[in-house]
Amino acid sequence: MDEKVLIVDQQKCTGCRLCEMVCSVFHTGASNPSRSRIKVIKWEDVGLYLPMACNHCEKPYCAEVCPTKACHREPENNYRVTIDKKLCIGCRTCVVACPFGHPFFDVNERVTVKCDHCDGDPQCVRFCEVKAISFLDADKTNMARKREFANRFADSMRQGR
Amino acid sequence: MGAGSFIIGTLIGWFNVKLGPPSLSSIDLFGHTLNLSSVSLLWGPVMVAIGAPFLILDLGIKWRFIYACLNPRTSWVARGFIILSIFIILGLVLLAKSVLPFEWLHPGSVLWRIPEIIAFIFAFGTAIYTGILLKATKSIPLWNTSLLPLLFLVSGLSTGSMAIILSTLGTGLISHDTGALKVLTGGEQVLVVIEGILLYLFLFRRYRAAEQGKDSVRLLVFGEMKMIFWGGVVLLGFIFPVILENIASFFPGNVLLICVAGILLLWGGFFLRLGILRAGIRDQIPMHRLMEIQYNAMAERTKRLGAGKPTNLPLGS
Repeated sequence: MDEKVLIVDQQKCTGCRLCEMVCSVFHTGASNPSRSRIKVIKWEDVGLYLPMACNHCEKPYCAEVCPTKACHREPENNYRVTIDKKLCIGCRTCVVACPFGHPFFDVNERVTVKCDHCDGDPQCVRFCEVKAISFLDADKTNMARKREFANRFADSMRQGR
Repeated sequence: MGAGSFIIGTLIGWFNVKLGPPSLSSIDLFGHTLNLSSVSLLWGPVMVAIGAPFLILDLGIKWRFIYACLNPRTSWVARGFIILSIFIILGLVLLAKSVLPFEWLHPGSVLWRIPEIIAFIFAFGTAIYTGILLKATKSIPLWNTSLLPLLFLVSGLSTGSMAIILSTLGTGLISHDTGALKVLTGGEQVLVVIEGILLYLFLFRRYRAAEQGKDSVRLLVFGEMKMIFWGGVVLLGFIFPVILENIASFFPGNVLLICVAGILLLWGGFFLRLGILRAGIRDQIPMHRLMEIQYNAMAERTKRLGAGKPTNLPLGS
């Protein structure tokens, strides 16, 4: 099975936060965006929105520091980095270690949780109306993604000058 | 502090530093004579035993700390559980051995050296462990250096030796006549100087290590935490104790000066850890820079359109 990745096009995001809602409903059964695995960071004053989800890093710091290896990579499951809730002790070391600030402590379950690609069918991708988030094969999207990123970066540099 | 005081206390025992006749060497309890001469030297594990449960209470699911104990090879949190547990158990056994009056324990036996040596090694582990744990956080440049465990070790030893001095004041165990207090305060002052040099090297190297390392040092030394650094660490932890101890050396028998110096030094050790913990800033990822550029560009555009002045700070959702 090819490795698939979540790709966020921040320029398409309208900040509706539907992704947060469906994520929370899927994982917790509650319509509570604060328990969502994806977070939309907003700069309302300039209309800038950035959905932040786990990057499932190649060398995940969260898995490196986890004392029980509850946080681990699953090669058999799209190489995702996931947290086994039955093993997590809630020490929050992974929260400190992640440079993206991704895993977060769920006060209801008393464990740390993170994006797990919804077992292969990410709900945020399914429900995003403007298609700001997509779930694509890593090898097929890599170059296109890089090119798109570079173009956008160049544009930003031109505008920021 | 607890581990540091155990290390210094054990060294005093091993090198047989001359102690004065203690005025509180033993007490009678239910017909047994308890020997208290070593309590002030070996009380470190008691402090660590009081502090360690807070690590467990901080966990999301408390009883699962056993999972960490069962996986010592996985991370420094797990190893820390083992190191602290062994130190506390052995330290308390050694303390009990030195206090209890039971002859069948053979307190003078050479065999006791074995648990003493093991406890001594694990005391080093306990003192250095917090630094190693922070060092393992690679995403925070301020912490990710080998100097941090060393700094915490020396800080633990200096506060530990001061804790021993404080705990012996008034008991007559270490008096000015014997010179033991002089040896201890002298050693403690040397440790404080080494700690100061290490702190300077630590900040200097972190300032040059990475952009966020520089930001962290700025935050600590010149930013909103400058009171913690200059007031708590430098004045309370280094300057005041050294000055007061030197003044106290001119007034033998004045325990108040030593007492104040000791309490200030312990607060200094606390502020050192607090400052370093709070000043840790995460590494910047390339996306941050991109978002910064985009934010500035959009803010400029908004300004030009006359839609009001945007704030500079990014807002969370």
